[in-house]
Amino acid sequence: MRNTILAILLFLFQVTAFYGQDVVTVSGMVSDSQGVPLPGASVVLQGTTTGTQTDFDGNFALSNVPSDGILSISYVGFLSQQVAVNGKTSFSIALMEDTQALEEVVVVGYGTQKKSDLTSAIVSVDTESMEKVPTGQLMQAVQGKAAGVQISSLGSPGESPEIIIRGVNSVYGDSTPLFVVDGVFFDSIDFLNASEIESMSILKDASASAIYGVEASNGVILITTKGGKFNKNASISYTGYTGVQTAQNVLQMANSEQFVNFALESGSDSEIASVNSAMQRFGRSRINPNVPDVNTDWYDEVLRKAMTQNHDISINGGSENIAYSVGGNFFYQDGILDMNNSYERFNLRTKLDIKANDWLKVGGSIVYSNATKYNDEASAWQLAYFAVPILPVYDYLYTDADPLPYSDAREIGYRGSQNPFPTMDNSDLKSQIRRTVANFYADFQLIPEQLNFKTSLSYNHAGTTGRNVYLPYYVTDDYQRSVEESSITRSQVTEESYVLDNVLTYRNTFGEHDLTLMGGMSYRDNYGSYFGTTGNFDPSGAFVRDKEQTWYLENTSADSRTSTDSNNTYPYRSYGFSYFGRAAYKFKDRYLAYATYRAEGTNKYDETYVYLPAFGLGWVLSEESFMKDVDFIDYLKLRGGWGRLANGSVPASDGGVGSTTVKTVFNDQYYTGTQFETISDDISWEFTEETNIGISAKFLDSRLSLEADYFIKDTKDMVIPLSPLVGTEVSYQNVGSVRNKGIELAVGYSGKIGKDFGYSINANFSKLENEVTDLYTQPYIERGSAEFRQMITEGQPIDVFYGYDIEGVYQTQAEIDADPVAQSAIAGGTDISPGYFKYKDVDGSGELDADDRVYLGAPVPDYFYGGSINLNYKNWDFSTSFYGQGGNVILNRNRAEVIWTTGRNIDAELAKNRWTGEGSTNAFPSSEGYRQSWNQKLSNFFLQEGDFFRIQNIQLAYTLKNDKLPEIRFSLTADRPFLWTKGYNGFNPEVGFDGIDSQTYPIPSTYTFGMNIKL
Amino acid sequence: MKSTIYIKCLLLVCGFYLASCEDQLDEDAELRSYQNDIDYSSAEGAYGALVGAYETFQDVGWEQIPLIAVRGDDVNAGGLGDQQGFADTDNYTYDNNYWMYNSLWENWFQDITQITSQIEQLELYRDGGVNSSLIDQYIAEAKTLRGFITLELSRVFGDVYRIESTDQTEITVETKDDLMQWISDQMDETIPDLLDVAPSNRTDIPGGITKYTALAVQAMANLELKNYQAVADATGEIINSGKFELYDDFYQLFKIPGKLCNENLLEIQYSDFGQSSGDNVAHLFEFYAPQNWTAAVPEATSGWGFYEPSFKYIKFMLDRGETVRLETSVLFTDRGIAEIQTDSDYSDLPDFVTNTTRDGDIINDYSRAYFASGKHYLPSIQLTEGRTTYGTNKNYTVIRYAEVLLMYAEALTRGASGTAGSADDAVNMIRTRADMPTLSGVTSDDVMDEKFAEMAMEWGIRYYDMIRLDKTSELNYDGRTFTMEKAYLPYPLEQLDISPILDEYNNQNN
Repeated sequence: MRNTILAILLFLFQVTAFYGQDVVTVSGMVSDSQGVPLPGASVVLQGTTTGTQTDFDGNFALSNVPSDGILSISYVGFLSQQVAVNGKTSFSIALMEDTQALEEVVVVGYGTQKKSDLTSAIVSVDTESMEKVPTGQLMQAVQGKAAGVQISSLGSPGESPEIIIRGVNSVYGDSTPLFVVDGVFFDSIDFLNASEIESMSILKDASASAIYGVEASNGVILITTKGGKFNKNASISYTGYTGVQTAQNVLQMANSEQFVNFALESGSDSEIASVNSAMQRFGRSRINPNVPDVNTDWYDEVLRKAMTQNHDISINGGSENIAYSVGGNFFYQDGILDMNNSYERFNLRTKLDIKANDWLKVGGSIVYSNATKYNDEASAWQLAYFAVPILPVYDYLYTDADPLPYSDAREIGYRGSQNPFPTMDNSDLKSQIRRTVANFYADFQLIPEQLNFKTSLSYNHAGTTGRNVYLPYYVTDDYQRSVEESSITRSQVTEESYVLDNVLTYRNTFGEHDLTLMGGMSYRDNYGSYFGTTGNFDPSGAFVRDKEQTWYLENTSADSRTSTDSNNTYPYRSYGFSYFGRAAYKFKDRYLAYATYRAEGTNKYDETYVYLPAFGLGWVLSEESFMKDVDFIDYLKLRGGWGRLANGSVPASDGGVGSTTVKTVFNDQYYTGTQFETISDDISWEFTEETNIGISAKFLDSRLSLEADYFIKDTKDMVIPLSPLVGTEVSYQNVGSVRNKGIELAVGYSGKIGKDFGYSINANFSKLENEVTDLYTQPYIERGSAEFRQMITEGQPIDVFYGYDIEGVYQTQAEIDADPVAQSAIAGGTDISPGYFKYKDVDGSGELDADDRVYLGAPVPDYFYGGSINLNYKNWDFSTSFYGQGGNVILNRNRAEVIWTTGRNIDAELAKNRWTGEGSTNAFPSSEGYRQSWNQKLSNFFLQEGDFFRIQNIQLAYTLKNDKLPEIRFSLTADRPFLWTKGYNGFNPEVGFDGIDSQTYPIPSTYTFGMNIKL
Repeated sequence: MKSTIYIKCLLLVCGFYLASCEDQLDEDAELRSYQNDIDYSSAEGAYGALVGAYETFQDVGWEQIPLIAVRGDDVNAGGLGDQQGFADTDNYTYDNNYWMYNSLWENWFQDITQITSQIEQLELYRDGGVNSSLIDQYIAEAKTLRGFITLELSRVFGDVYRIESTDQTEITVETKDDLMQWISDQMDETIPDLLDVAPSNRTDIPGGITKYTALAVQAMANLELKNYQAVADATGEIINSGKFELYDDFYQLFKIPGKLCNENLLEIQYSDFGQSSGDNVAHLFEFYAPQNWTAAVPEATSGWGFYEPSFKYIKFMLDRGETVRLETSVLFTDRGIAEIQTDSDYSDLPDFVTNTTRDGDIINDYSRAYFASGKHYLPSIQLTEGRTTYGTNKNYTVIRYAEVLLMYAEALTRGASGTAGSADDAVNMIRTRADMPTLSGVTSDDVMDEKFAEMAMEWGIRYYDMIRLDKTSELNYDGRTFTMEKAYLPYPLEQLDISPILDEYNNQNN
């Protein structure tokens, strides 16, 4: 091998030496080994840029070729061939398939591996299916496509979804995975469009991700952006779609009639008075004169149909020595909340790979992204639930209002104004996010095909300019935001990071032994800063409400301005310095061994260096002789791995002994002193160890594939607050433990019926169990709020809800009289009537107290599944995908807000099913009861099952193939069109992993028409 | 040949990368606070550490002293309906899940831990070169505060923690007697290091701890141990110093004029800085205040009505013919007066028994209680103009010379020998100030009666005296039944949950 390369090297010099001799015109045909012509194959005169490509029939012709030149013929998926001209003018060249290239290669930490050689849990996500999802958020398109990867989308335009890979393993640190885009580390990839990426691999288990060090404890998502290919004609493609989004599964609220019935039954004088005031102010309905002549559906009012569009142009190609890819992308999405709420993003990218000479390859890429986001006013989602239907949006009796006469629920006796529109209309929450990612590498071939050294430098700059303006409005003197109260906040966040990687890779084959050794070092420098100023507008200044050009701090009053240059996240400056290595060994193509190691130093904690080993073993059973006879199994591999991860996302404890400045009084004077902490935090790395075992298999001529994994992941040094023996100060220390374990299954089947009909079916399922295993002798750690208690307690998932279990509803007074629990509560001064909840007396004490609380469910779903069906017939193709999750509960905070304010609307389910008399319901309280504190304890009335099933995407497409025209694919897409929920009566069961539905922006359904043109 | 060039390049690149990176790993995080940078050679720093110790003592919550004080026959919790657990405690029905118990325990032990942390830091200032005798004095002041707080906690809960280090593994639970002895020993250590002045004459920390505060704490600890000779020795030294005198006007002693008078050995100090608005450091005296009043200064606000002098105490005082002490200790309402008068023995009451104070505040009837505490009352006319909250600018008296005199007198009547005059002298000083005729040949019972009259409503002194003397009959009043098993509050449930060493011990109520 080495000799061949040397020979070629020698040739290079010879080519120059012999240049200037006779020239000829050559022609010929390029085919595969079966003789099938290969159109588009590259034919280049070696050592020059002279070259051509084969036509549809595989033919080529090239003039001015030196008679002693060498032709280099290459084609994707085939081994390149060199043919000496030797004076010949006609050639027939058969290329051999490159079996290695045909085998799927997966990007792993600092390199690639053949999929068949993997021993860890790595999933490659099909980028083509991601492109079918009309979203600006790449990861939203991954939902349901990878087992073990939980994704909770957020509806607000431009918001990145929440992602958890294999469970939550930190309480005070984050659980966000690491994104590595072309070698650069990110915590979010909101700047990338699905059309811009070439491949995505998700490293799920520790044996795969440990090599990425301390940022990788929550899994790694590796992304390679699109690049060009050597010796390939330019391909120009346009992809675009435009469509409309509409709210799905809109929550039905009580209408005016239902609401009035509910209010009248409440027995509350003020509620009844409010209904009467509404009738006086807004008139009586002609249909039912006991109901005010207003019937506002607030969700209908705050929602709108919103458009979205996406345009993408990409040009890829390459000559013998240069491969390039350039492109641009424009994405726009309006929010379905009827206010200034949208997301717009414009991306440009360039990627180049250059063979500088035979021992050096250099390259680089630049991505520039410029996004403008207008945030939603999240309180609108809560107010739309809250506002009573007997209140109109506008109340034209307010004649002095400016700009609009927003109605005011206080006018008819309610405590708050309720109307969401004053805040929606008068908030302008703009941020501009600009990001530049640049990357350069040089790859030296030290020993051709065996030893290479790659050095790369990456730089990332992200600047977010915020401008939040709260504009003035006037309805009445009591209901306004005066100019003095109106404000502008300008903020600037700058983040920069550098990564320098040096990687030395050695690969060789010795007979039946395959060996890869990699060693490297990485240096990282991350910096983030913040600056923000807030001011209130000066009524005597130049500020004009409707002139955006006057919205400047300059027009605020000087003494109202406050500035700060820090917040929870900023500023920071962190450095990382790592050494890492990987060894992969394969014997006889059937025994696999794999190990990685990373030593990483950072300046975050006192413990500078952490050491993260990982290893894996695999056994390809199907290569064994005893399996040769089993026909239906084409491939079967058992694999297992173990690795250690470190999470450094919990803020470091302050150095030394903490102190605070205090003041106290002696003789009517202040004296200043210092108090030293009595107990200190001691925070360092959270370590996780994970074992993964799995099977990869292919059956039935490789049409059926199966991947199954079981993992058990222990985090033993989780940071938790530790209550001291004495005193009130808590100490945060690495003394907690949590275990995540689960199974993941993925199956796929593809086949063909006849010549024209192809189909494939994929499905995956994940089950996850999260359990706190040690709290360092503490019985529990309280989380959530006192009203909505959550717990961290041994044997339960993190943040499990904790409250009372409802047995039913008291139907009769006799039932109350006979129940000792009710009687003891009544003796204590609580009123209990029929229509009130009957709680379970868990400890049998005969009274309801704190000991009767039970665990009511966890916020993170514990199973989820997804799948897709793809069909194609001739030029038509159809695909659909689905997703489901469950096992979690959702705290319906909107419904539970009644504990703070009783004068408010209720959802239709509650209004219709309320207890109205004996036998009416055993699950809902009476209208009167709903308002009483006895029924407002955190219970399974407010916590509802989160299980849902959703059709994620349906796409139908037709591809126009015609010699005269470029290839055009037309598509119709319905994204997230159908949803079924098991028990949740909210807008949207996808509320994020905190399990609390309060101001959740619902995910819309999107319907688009798309076009894809390829030249 | 080429390979060498590559390798040279490679080494060059690597060398460049390696050179400067590793020392960045020692860089501190941005905006991290650097306590390591404390200048331990600074005398001002050491002084600040001492002030920090005082701050933790002076920053006391409103609910804690009432819980210490409520159980005596001098004072009641006020009517029922709110803070049932507080009223139950007053009636000797204890609930270890009641929040006030835990609040007192956790906050005062946090104070002790805080003071201990300050002491440890002061040692570092000594190592840093700050004048060693100054450090001795500062540490002695902090230890005196720690001793006093431990004493109060042990009076309430019996056997509690002894904390001498912030290392939580060194905390032990000690019996009450051992703790009192430890406090006495601690005071022996501190007394030589403390300033030999009255607290009110201190200039560096006006009202701060001096030798005499420590002697008073030592006397209180020995009183609990019934070590009367030690009580007589400590109190006698205070009396003999001649640095203290009873404040002339018993009524004003508990009001603005009495702030930092030289009767007081320890006060929790507050101030509104004489300003009508702005900074204000105040105790929540509203807890003790009548719920309804017509103040001489109309804007002045009333309070919560939770701290009610008992009928027993009022009748005791009337029986003795007390004047200024009764007037000072009790705020009467018409309803309360009428209730006293239903007892035919008390149908005629002296003129000062009226719902209008001498400063013109009219105490209106309110449902929660018949009376309010006069010692926690600040006349509305003494409020700084612009301040309206009850008790603003008033100090909270902790230890005063009258208690020292009475401890001395009691010790002598119980057989101790004293060098600071006779028990009669001590008692008569107090009686004279209270416009009461002098006595001769006072007995222990006389002294205890005098202490009841003088110290009522203050810190449960009466209750802890009765416990010490096993006088359960005195605590059986107004329908209450007291037995000695009720002497200590149970350990708070929450503390039993978190402390593995606490449940090894039993105070009688757990």
